[in-house]
Amino acid sequence: MILPIRLFYIAVIQVILTSIVIYFFVSSEYLTLSQHNLKTLETFLINQKKQELKNYTSLASAAIKHLHPEAEPNAKSKQLAIRNLINELLYNGDDGYFFVYDDKGVNIAHPKEPQRVGESWWELESDRGNKIIQRLVNNAKSGGDYLHYQWSKPSNKKVSNKMSYSIYLKDWQWMLGTGIYLDDVNQQLASIQEKIDQHINNTKEIILIISLSSIFIIFLFGWIINLSHKKKADKKINELGQKIINLQEDQHRHISRELHDGIVQILVSIQYSIEATAIYLTQSKQEKPKPLIEADKNLRIAIQEVRRISHNLHPRVLDELGLSAAIAGLAKDFSNQTKINISLTKPKLSKLLPDDINISLYRVVQESLINIEKHAQATHVTIDLSVENKWLTLTITDNGIGFNDNNKNRAGAPIESFGIGLRNLKERIEYHCGQLKICTSSKGTSISAIIPSHVFAYYFKNNAQ
Amino acid sequence: MENQKTNTQMTTVLLVDDHPMVQDGLTACLSYYNDIKIIGSTQDGKSALTQANILKPDVILMDISMPDMNGIDATEIITEQLASTKILIFSMHDSLEFVNSAMQAGASGYILKDTGSAEVYLAIKAVASGKTHFSPSIASALLENPLKDGKEKLTTREQVVLAYIAQGLSSKVVAKKLDISFRTVEAHRRNIKAKLQIENLAELIRYAVNHGLIDS
Repeated sequence: MILPIRLFYIAVIQVILTSIVIYFFVSSEYLTLSQHNLKTLETFLINQKKQELKNYTSLASAAIKHLHPEAEPNAKSKQLAIRNLINELLYNGDDGYFFVYDDKGVNIAHPKEPQRVGESWWELESDRGNKIIQRLVNNAKSGGDYLHYQWSKPSNKKVSNKMSYSIYLKDWQWMLGTGIYLDDVNQQLASIQEKIDQHINNTKEIILIISLSSIFIIFLFGWIINLSHKKKADKKINELGQKIINLQEDQHRHISRELHDGIVQILVSIQYSIEATAIYLTQSKQEKPKPLIEADKNLRIAIQEVRRISHNLHPRVLDELGLSAAIAGLAKDFSNQTKINISLTKPKLSKLLPDDINISLYRVVQESLINIEKHAQATHVTIDLSVENKWLTLTITDNGIGFNDNNKNRAGAPIESFGIGLRNLKERIEYHCGQLKICTSSKGTSISAIIPSHVFAYYFKNNAQ
Repeated sequence: MENQKTNTQMTTVLLVDDHPMVQDGLTACLSYYNDIKIIGSTQDGKSALTQANILKPDVILMDISMPDMNGIDATEIITEQLASTKILIFSMHDSLEFVNSAMQAGASGYILKDTGSAEVYLAIKAVASGKTHFSPSIASALLENPLKDGKEKLTTREQVVLAYIAQGLSSKVVAKKLDISFRTVEAHRRNIKAKLQIENLAELIRYAVNHGLIDS
């Protein structure tokens, strides 16, 4: 499955867009919902308080009626008694108290501001021009009502919002009221609002984290897939390289055989025909004509040439007799050509290896001998082929001058620096699950290829007669 | 060489070569000799086995590179089965590795294809009478590099027998599988042990497994 990089960009953009949309959508919905809830809560609370105030005032009124059944509004003693009573009727800490004014605005009782007693507060105005006491009295006379205004809060002596309820004591012609300071309610609501805000912020944070994580995961995913693709691609390239090499060797082998089994055989049979002609002529007492002799000679040369070409393309002995025989052939040709001594050790078993491993190892020996001939100035070469402990080892050692490089010591250098021939061979050997190593110094060079036996384990058994 | 040899004993010959043109050419040349009769020809190793058993020639002229089974492996099997048939390798390959393998397999001679028919005639006659014969160039090469592999390397047949033994098959079963006598299998067994310098079966098995001959 090939995933183009564009798909990832699309995925990332989609995540971002989705996150933004969700962000705003959730935020606004949350906001609306919380505000709505808040409103409802506020209304509920206010209504609750209103009911409370109503109840308190009716209780207070009942208390007054019970204690003083006869109304004597002007009797100073009664006023005092009721004032004392009102002063006792406290609730809610410092802030819950009753106040009594007559219908002219004169204060009869005020537990928290005693200085108001006896004075008229009819003209008392708020900042906005509302006559507070008048309104209270009017509310009371109209059967009882609520008023919002500003008044000093006893517990902190600060002016705050207040909501009061006032009723009219008809017998006494007095207004009786009580109120609550709304900042408490507001404070409660404010803290709830804060919690809501915090929730919204948390949600926003979560959305941010999730979207960033998603983006990160997408990138991680893409990177991992990319890596695995690269690995697959590298592997494919490697396989392709080996395929090409195998194809080439197969081609060479094929052509080599066509030359050897086809052309050479035909030439040989022509040789026999020429010989038969010669015998015929001899038996009829005729001389062999010159062209015939020439033909025979040239034919031999032709056969030799074609065989040489065929052998250079692919050594037949490798296929017929196996690797050690082929290496022995290489060694003999090398010795004859360079007069350098070669000693060869071979395993006692043969034909253990399939064709592709055979030809790869053969090429290793070929390349090594070419290098020795060209550069090594060696006097002795050892080629060792053996199978031990489930590893096949091929080692070519010479006592020459090593891969001489004035600038660096080659002993630990990677094969890649030794030239393209050996580099290609290293890849070929690795393709067979093996390794190719070089140890070189000024005392000599040793090239070794090893192949694990599991790679060729069944070959002889499956291909034997 | 233009005159016929006075050796009047008829030598029967089986030609084994995967190239019909060569067979025809050779047949034409050898027809000039009265004491050689070509009684059959075939083109691969496997059919050479069957033809040899049917025709029982004195000499088999055996090519090496053939499809299915090469001449050297066929030589090994025929010499197991037919004691009186002599095998003369007839090949384009001139490297000593081939000569070594062929002689190890039991061939009595090795001549190159591009020698004249007179040489072929001499070789057939020599081999038929029990001698070994090589093409001159091969003979001189052998002088410099005498055969020595015979003591060290297993032949294909021996390797096959080793594979069977290492799998635990008895000599009797192996004989049946390869269609040879029990005695022959035992002879192979002895040779294997001698060449590998291994005496007991356990070591043989380990040797075979180590070399990837069989799986463990």
